Amino acid sequence: MSDLAIAAPLRAVQRLPGVAVVLVLLIALFGAIAPGFLSAANLSNVLVQSTILTMLALPMTLIIMTEGIDLSMGAVLTLTSLCVAIVSLATKSMLLGLGAAVLVGTAFGLANGLLVAIAKIPPFVATLATLGMAQGLSLIVSDGQSVVGIPHSVRDVYSAQLLGIPVPILMGVASYGLFHALLYHTRFGTYVFALGGNRDALRYAGLSPTRLLIAVYAIGGLMAGVAGLLMTARMNSGHPTAGLGMEFDAIAAVAVGGTSFERGNGWLLGTLLGVLAVGVLRNGLNLISLPSSVQVASVGVLVIAAMFLDGLRSRA
Amino acid sequence: MSDGAASAAASSAPLLELRGISKSFPGVKALDDVSFAIHPGEVHMLLGENGAGKSSLMKILCGAYTADAGEFYYKGENVTLSSTAEAQALGIAVIFQEFSLVPFLDIAQNIFLGREPKGRIPGTIDRRRILADAKRVLDGIGFDIDPKVVVDTLGVAQQQMVEIAKAISQNARILVMDEPTAALSDREVELLFALIARLKADGVAIVYISHRMAEVFAIGDRITVLRDGRRIDQVRPAEVTPDQLVRMMVGRNVDMTYPRRFAEQPGELVLQVKGLSAATGISDIDIEVRQGEIVGLCGLVGSGRTEVARAIFGADPVTTGEIIFDGKPITGEPDVAARRGIALIPESRKSEGLALLRSVGDNLVVAALKKLFPSRLYDPRGAQRTAEGLIRQLRIATPSARQMVGLLSGGNQQKVVIGKWLAAGARLFIFDEPTRGIDIGAKSEIFALIDRLVAEGAAALMISSEQIEICHVCDRAYVMRDGRIAGHLARSELTEENIVRLGMHHE
Amino acid sequence: MTDIAKNAPSPAWSLLSHNAAQLFYRLLAALLICIVLSVLSDAFLSLGNILNVLRQASLTFFIASGLTLVVLTAGLDLSVGANVALSACLAGTVIHQTGSPTLGILAGLLTGGTVGLMNGVMVTAMRIPSFIATYGMLWVLNGVTYWYMAGETIHGFPAGFRQIGSGYFLGLPIPVYLLLVFLAIGTAFAQRTVWGQEIYAIGANPVAARLSGIPVNCRLLLVYTVSGTMAGLASIIFLSRLNSAEADIGESLTLPAIAAVLIGGTSLFGGVGTIFGTFVGALILTLVLNGMNLLSINANWQPLVTGIIVIIAVWLDMRTRRSAP
Repeated sequence: MSDLAIAAPLRAVQRLPGVAVVLVLLIALFGAIAPGFLSAANLSNVLVQSTILTMLALPMTLIIMTEGIDLSMGAVLTLTSLCVAIVSLATKSMLLGLGAAVLVGTAFGLANGLLVAIAKIPPFVATLATLGMAQGLSLIVSDGQSVVGIPHSVRDVYSAQLLGIPVPILMGVASYGLFHALLYHTRFGTYVFALGGNRDALRYAGLSPTRLLIAVYAIGGLMAGVAGLLMTARMNSGHPTAGLGMEFDAIAAVAVGGTSFERGNGWLLGTLLGVLAVGVLRNGLNLISLPSSVQVASVGVLVIAAMFLDGLRSRA
Repeated sequence: MSDGAASAAASSAPLLELRGISKSFPGVKALDDVSFAIHPGEVHMLLGENGAGKSSLMKILCGAYTADAGEFYYKGENVTLSSTAEAQALGIAVIFQEFSLVPFLDIAQNIFLGREPKGRIPGTIDRRRILADAKRVLDGIGFDIDPKVVVDTLGVAQQQMVEIAKAISQNARILVMDEPTAALSDREVELLFALIARLKADGVAIVYISHRMAEVFAIGDRITVLRDGRRIDQVRPAEVTPDQLVRMMVGRNVDMTYPRRFAEQPGELVLQVKGLSAATGISDIDIEVRQGEIVGLCGLVGSGRTEVARAIFGADPVTTGEIIFDGKPITGEPDVAARRGIALIPESRKSEGLALLRSVGDNLVVAALKKLFPSRLYDPRGAQRTAEGLIRQLRIATPSARQMVGLLSGGNQQKVVIGKWLAAGARLFIFDEPTRGIDIGAKSEIFALIDRLVAEGAAALMISSEQIEICHVCDRAYVMRDGRIAGHLARSELTEENIVRLGMHHE
Repeated sequence: MTDIAKNAPSPAWSLLSHNAAQLFYRLLAALLICIVLSVLSDAFLSLGNILNVLRQASLTFFIASGLTLVVLTAGLDLSVGANVALSACLAGTVIHQTGSPTLGILAGLLTGGTVGLMNGVMVTAMRIPSFIATYGMLWVLNGVTYWYMAGETIHGFPAGFRQIGSGYFLGLPIPVYLLLVFLAIGTAFAQRTVWGQEIYAIGANPVAARLSGIPVNCRLLLVYTVSGTMAGLASIIFLSRLNSAEADIGESLTLPAIAAVLIGGTSLFGGVGTIFGTFVGALILTLVLNGMNLLSINANWQPLVTGIIVIIAVWLDMRTRRSAP
């Protein structure tokens, strides 16, 4: 029985290929066909551009682990990005903008959590409805126009460097570190595994799945708020369709990263690699002058393929 | 600890005593004045057929059910046992067949779920301590494994060990195990028995529910036999033979007044199954069913009876073997089988047999739509006429065909399931536990119905866990064990003892 | 028999009569909205506005009617909006290049149906949950459409073709006639054919349906294909009415279609609902949005309100389900 002791790391290695192979193949492919892909500047660019996606895909991993989904994340990101733009424009304060964004994002996350955990509305439909609501609010607060002229302090968040490393990369790394600690080293993280894996086990242990589930969705909203700051900083403006479809890239990263939609099988490092795979795919297609529409379609194919393989694996 | 010490512990005062426990559910008396005592360091075997009251008793022990009458004494003191919290406080832990483990957490996290040692930073887990504590618990039960191993990678037996470790870590003094060896291999069973011996030596009391005769004698210190919710006897293994135990279990006096004229001259061969195997765990199944016959398919729960029924009906894919119906081979999905004239009345009526929220009428015609409406144009009035005809013919007690089928009683729901295949004109009926959850009166009605079907030229294959039903109703029977046909009993050999003997494990 | 006494029928408990009541309440709600709007706005009761509401409702209805069948099987098709966009763009291109509206219409229907069939294959053969499969499809279609159109707009179609979406016959817009035709066809299909009954049975309990000899996968393929084809049909009406095709025309169509299905009383959990209910749902949604328009509420509020309506509709459905046994 002691041979089982090595099973855990072995399993991780066995699972690694899926997403790692995809990532390596994509890098090799674009290294070969896309001029300038392997340049340090471009690779750093890929990392910087992947930050926002990282901040969405990490909480999306937790949500998907609970056998849920959050379709509203992109729309909420749009809204929080507008919050940053509007509030910082009015108050000249980047921090107040961030605060407002986090508040609005968390409120949407809580609403999702309440709809899913208490009203027991299937996550797909509940978050599709809040997607519509966030989209509507974005149009209302911006009146359908871009918000421009925001303070430099906001833009600097995206372009600044610390110790020679772009701040967004640091934020992405910090987010990953926090989520890693949260999922693998706290009681809360343990219970997230149980939410998808065996809710009865939580009940036997005297814990409330409802409150935990609400918290998971709220964290998703909160992170969409933080990512809103980066989004506004990157575009140096707020735009009412800025985050359109970002939730899909996040879901793609999670699915490609090997997190299952059932049984609470989540893997954060896989999600991170998945984010990079999506980032490399989009960047590479961009470099060979394929429009963003082709990028979207290929991410769609990636998700369907990942879901199909996931289904095969769970049936095997 | 030596044998002498163990038996000394066994003769000590009882840890928990149940006196006169009764529990009723609407229409059924699940437990009737049951008393028994659980002693520390002793394995108390609970033996009985399905429906004898074992699982009710187990649920009462863990506080999931509250007894209607009776008292509990813990170390001689009168206590109440009406919630899971109270049961846990008394040190009672139940290991159910469906595990309460989280697949993608490691062993340590599972053992201490909800009771994690706190780390220095609020909210975190003291990883070193949880691993050390888990290691200690695992060592305590002699399970040599790294607590960092993820539970999903473990086999059933090892998961069971983790369950036991979880129970022990909560200071369980009374461990209730529900057929723990059901899914284990022989080697794993040995490991489990070794563990039980250790626990005994530590003074843990074990309540062990089993169907397997060999286990009863291998590890039991005391045997309580339940039958129809009553305690029939309490014996020591040395005092009885397996045959005596079997007689205690099945010696039931059920009023089976339904008279059936058995088929003297069975008709044409309707179904012929040759060397059938499926991935669901059945292999080499040979079965023949003739017109005008009711053929029994018995064996323990989990012996593969349902899987055989599903494979014949096309509900599960067949790996090898042949199914010949009416002289022609049959392959494919259930729609093929249904079109050819095979009917499956599934075990789980509510989840597999009926659409509970739809009307009686909708459910009655659902299998016959193509036959009733060859033009593919559905006529609600025609469907209603057919449904009303069936309601009259089968005497289904419903105010109308428009009543929601979920509101009918179990017996009438079963008639609806049978009725839909009558409408479809099926000629082979496969019944999987047709009388489960049905009260006595309705049972004989169901049997009368089955009898009429075969008298009118159909054939029936009937799965039942109630040996007495098989004996009363069937012309002959196959007995299954571990996914294979263990034997065939002709009409003259068809007794409860023979069925139990063939179906039990006699390693 | 004691059973009869035990099951003493209380009509309120029967989901069937319950459904009839639900539909009645919904019609009542539509009427109430009409009354309120006619009081609040003089323009509401004008013939032009009423015809406008009907035409608008019919567009939502075409997409929602096919979707109703999918939801009846306890599935969901999130790709309908994107499907409309791709079908419209392809149909528009065919009309421009061949000059034949007939070929264009065929191209639109064929595109929609093919997309639907692919959804069906993913759900049945590949066993991907319908939400995820059609959600992935949504983005694939979006990508393909934007790539194909490359920011261009196709516009200017033959007058005859434009009649489909904007013409009148005997004083009523032609889409309204189409609505009546498809309402009749859809209702007949769902209520009066064997396939319709099988679809209800699948939604009510897919396991029991399979074990009753219904070829579940074949029916699911049919349902998703029909849903896609109806999206193709809607694309033709859009194309004809807008007289142009752009890649983004589908983006705001999916949520209203789902809203119409759910307001119409079709349960997300399958087996319960009618095409007529979806028509009423489309009408209610259109009335609400039209009312907001008349009361000069910014159109930007529309997705917000639609989202809230979806949540209320699902919540009502959940309550009904919970009170059933």
